Amino acid sequence: MRKPVAALFIAIFLVTAPALAATRLLETGSSLLYPLMNLWVAAYQAHHGDVEITTQSTGSGTGISQAIAGVAQIGASDAYMPDAKMHDTPMLNIPLAISAQQVNYNIPGLSGHLNLSGPVLAAIYSGQITYWDDPRIKEINHELGRELPHATIVPIHRSDGSGDTFIFSQYLSKSTPAWSSGAGYGTTISWPAVATAVGAQGNAGMVQTCSATRYCIAYIGISYINETDHAGLGYAALENRDGRFVLPTTTTISAAAHELDAQTPPDERISLIFAPGEDSYPIINYEYAIVKPDQPDAATRDALKAFLDWALSPDGGQMASFLDQVHFLPLPEGVSRLSRGQVARIH
Amino acid sequence: MSARAISRLSSHLWWGVSIGALGVIIAVLLAIFVFVFAHGVAALRPQLFTTVTTGIAGGLENAIAGTLLLVSIGIVLAAIVGIGTALWVVEYAPVWAARAVRYMIDVLAGVPSIVVGYFLYVALVEGLGWGFSLIAGAFSLAIFVLPYVERAADIALTSVPTHLREGSVALGARQAVTIFSIDLPYAMPGILTGLLVAVGIGLGETAPLIYTAGWSNYMPTLAPTHSPVGYLTYVVWTYISQPFAASHALAYAAATLLMLFVFATNLFARSFVEYRYNRGRR
Amino acid sequence: MMQRVRTQPFLRLATGALAVASFALIFLMLLFLLAYAYPAIRFNGIGFLTSLTWNIGNQYASGTVTRGGFTGQVGASFGALVFICGTVLSSFLAMIAAVPFSLLVAIAIVYRVPPFLKPLTNAVVELMAGVPSVIYGLWGMIVLVPFIGNKLSPSGNGNGLLAATIILALMVVPIMVATTRDVVQAQSTAIYEASMALGSTSWQAVTRAVLPSVRNGIAGSVLLAFGRALGETMAVLMVCGAAINTLPQSIFSPINTIAAVIVSQLESALTDASGMAQRSLGELALALFLITLIVNGVARVILRGGDRTSMVA
Repeated sequence: MRKPVAALFIAIFLVTAPALAATRLLETGSSLLYPLMNLWVAAYQAHHGDVEITTQSTGSGTGISQAIAGVAQIGASDAYMPDAKMHDTPMLNIPLAISAQQVNYNIPGLSGHLNLSGPVLAAIYSGQITYWDDPRIKEINHELGRELPHATIVPIHRSDGSGDTFIFSQYLSKSTPAWSSGAGYGTTISWPAVATAVGAQGNAGMVQTCSATRYCIAYIGISYINETDHAGLGYAALENRDGRFVLPTTTTISAAAHELDAQTPPDERISLIFAPGEDSYPIINYEYAIVKPDQPDAATRDALKAFLDWALSPDGGQMASFLDQVHFLPLPEGVSRLSRGQVARIH
Repeated sequence: MSARAISRLSSHLWWGVSIGALGVIIAVLLAIFVFVFAHGVAALRPQLFTTVTTGIAGGLENAIAGTLLLVSIGIVLAAIVGIGTALWVVEYAPVWAARAVRYMIDVLAGVPSIVVGYFLYVALVEGLGWGFSLIAGAFSLAIFVLPYVERAADIALTSVPTHLREGSVALGARQAVTIFSIDLPYAMPGILTGLLVAVGIGLGETAPLIYTAGWSNYMPTLAPTHSPVGYLTYVVWTYISQPFAASHALAYAAATLLMLFVFATNLFARSFVEYRYNRGRR
Repeated sequence: MMQRVRTQPFLRLATGALAVASFALIFLMLLFLLAYAYPAIRFNGIGFLTSLTWNIGNQYASGTVTRGGFTGQVGASFGALVFICGTVLSSFLAMIAAVPFSLLVAIAIVYRVPPFLKPLTNAVVELMAGVPSVIYGLWGMIVLVPFIGNKLSPSGNGNGLLAATIILALMVVPIMVATTRDVVQAQSTAIYEASMALGSTSWQAVTRAVLPSVRNGIAGSVLLAFGRALGETMAVLMVCGAAINTLPQSIFSPINTIAAVIVSQLESALTDASGMAQRSLGELALALFLITLIVNGVARVILRGGDRTSMVA
């Protein structure tokens, strides 16, 4: 009995020993950024064999806390860090790209895009609107309104700490005073009591649950649009600050980004939600890498800076061949300069 | 019909129901088995064993190696503590102390694995700053399977016939010699059965590992701390809720391997029991 | 105990130390969790048991709130009632389904399965007990939840109390079958035969004579299985619907259990700069620990340590 066990240990050691040589970086957090990270890491590693980068889709909450704890070198987050956390543990919040969020629904037989507004979504998620054929939904859907079924709405929200929850609840807060004074916004919020509401883990879990649940509604990152299409989920045109209903497209996302990017402060913590402008899509955000300014050793620091510089470079991570696949937009020139400046501060 | 005939008929009917219930159990096990294997066998490719998980799919090399490492170390720890405890309880302890230790170990068997995991997360991962690590994961498995190991060793040692021991003592052997040359060899099949059952339980655990071992896409490094480790149950849990066909295939492949590992250890353990039983009769 | 004559102090001390460690493990875990959760116990007060609202507070608000001498985020409220109800309700309903079913299976194995088939049926029961929790969850997610959602549930949602109950019942049945089978098997055949001699049918002999004579053993194994259901994590997490702030209103409503919340809320809790959310999860773990300790402690007293043969419980 003893010999096979010893042999097993030796075998495992021999297999794992070579892995000790490379520098390892751990990226964890946002499931919205996760598909892009996978594209980036695969391309980057093809030319940088001496670095191993693990990617994990765990949720922005985990991304931030594990970056602070030093477990992960890159904490991916759709949300910038709150002041209270920044005060305790100053971290770099480095935007890598611009992302957006879709509001999806599973209504069999409904074709075309529903119009939805912040106040209507807030009423759905707080249980004041419980059926799809509610007059308040019909009122903003003149064409599709007649097709809406008398079916119970199942609102799906994220059960993990999530930047998607942050940007979605921020849209509700900025557009609906009652939501702002109630549940408010954050990466985890205390959802109003709705008996049919379901929680799901990660963007992937949202797609999975929504496609398995007729008459649901869910908020899902734009990087999952291929999957939501494939699952037959519709996505809504959302009401922006100027009162127009707009779909998430390259035009509407960059219109919204254009309104606010000039106001980006040096630490780059800013909300892009509910931007003014008649073409602006209301739920867009920076995708952040949360990074500790002081790294424990030179090898990790250099590998980390090299990867982030590559991700921010127009000939690297910002190339359309990467971003188009996940429907993200590159950073505008001014923001990109701020981000590279922050990377340079890592020591 | 007479009252007697009615009660006889109802007896037959009820026995039918109870055998039907047994049939349902067998059918459910078969259904789960077929469900997992039907999806998983197609996904079992040789590359699974030679590549690590990447992004939405990839292989299972890291998860298999991690599971084997975590379970091996966990079982070794549990074996040291469990068999040691059983030896003391059977050979040295006063009756009241033996009863107290056995009682606490039985109660430990009912502690939810997530409580063990949370305790170690707070104590080791955060408290001692070990981070997600091999050793924290192995500890969580060790605590969780300890009761099964101790109980099996306890029963096996208790069943050593007194005349064997007395013979050894009468020949002037010291107790340690008796333990190592008579008791442990005699009890070995029972102890091994317990260890195998524990391996089966450890292979299938998830909850305590999420917050102790963490997860890694890469091969485990053997660094005891600060290096997260992958394992098969995590792949089942997370990849099945990804919206990609390739992720689902990986989850089913991991589930199939897990079922095979668990069933193999269980059947192996049972064969030890049968062996012991047959030997006892001979 | 004549072998005490020549003892080896080293072995005695070493094994004794290991035994003390085994014995003390539960107390160590209990004390540790208690110390860790103490600020949460003070902060939450009785609201922990009576409030429906689980809210880690506003991470983006400035300032903090202080209750019981400890601080949390603005708006923080850690009420566990929803999770306690979900845990007890799903486990209780699962037991209602599993207990009669398991008794039927156990007596079928003891009295009706021919001896040459017994190793096979025993193997099936033990294999079922050995199926990992995530595999039950996988099956629940892919097969059971869509079935409930599409065929049974009025809202189209299949995640919830019914799915969790069915999965839990499936998971505790093999444990209960194994333990009750051993208890019934261990009972001497004299009772059965005496009852038959008095003119009972074989069914009456089993249900009116044998089972009542082993009711302590059965009660103990029911409690053991109940304890198992209360603490089950992964399979329930995968099908429960992760309800928050609301009690179930029907068998189809999403629920949440203490164990599932500890897994699904830990990462949210880590974002709480005050740390109170994490400590409140510690209080949840402590509550689950105490509930299962009581259930198991009573079960083991009923079983009086006599039944230490089963490998699965």
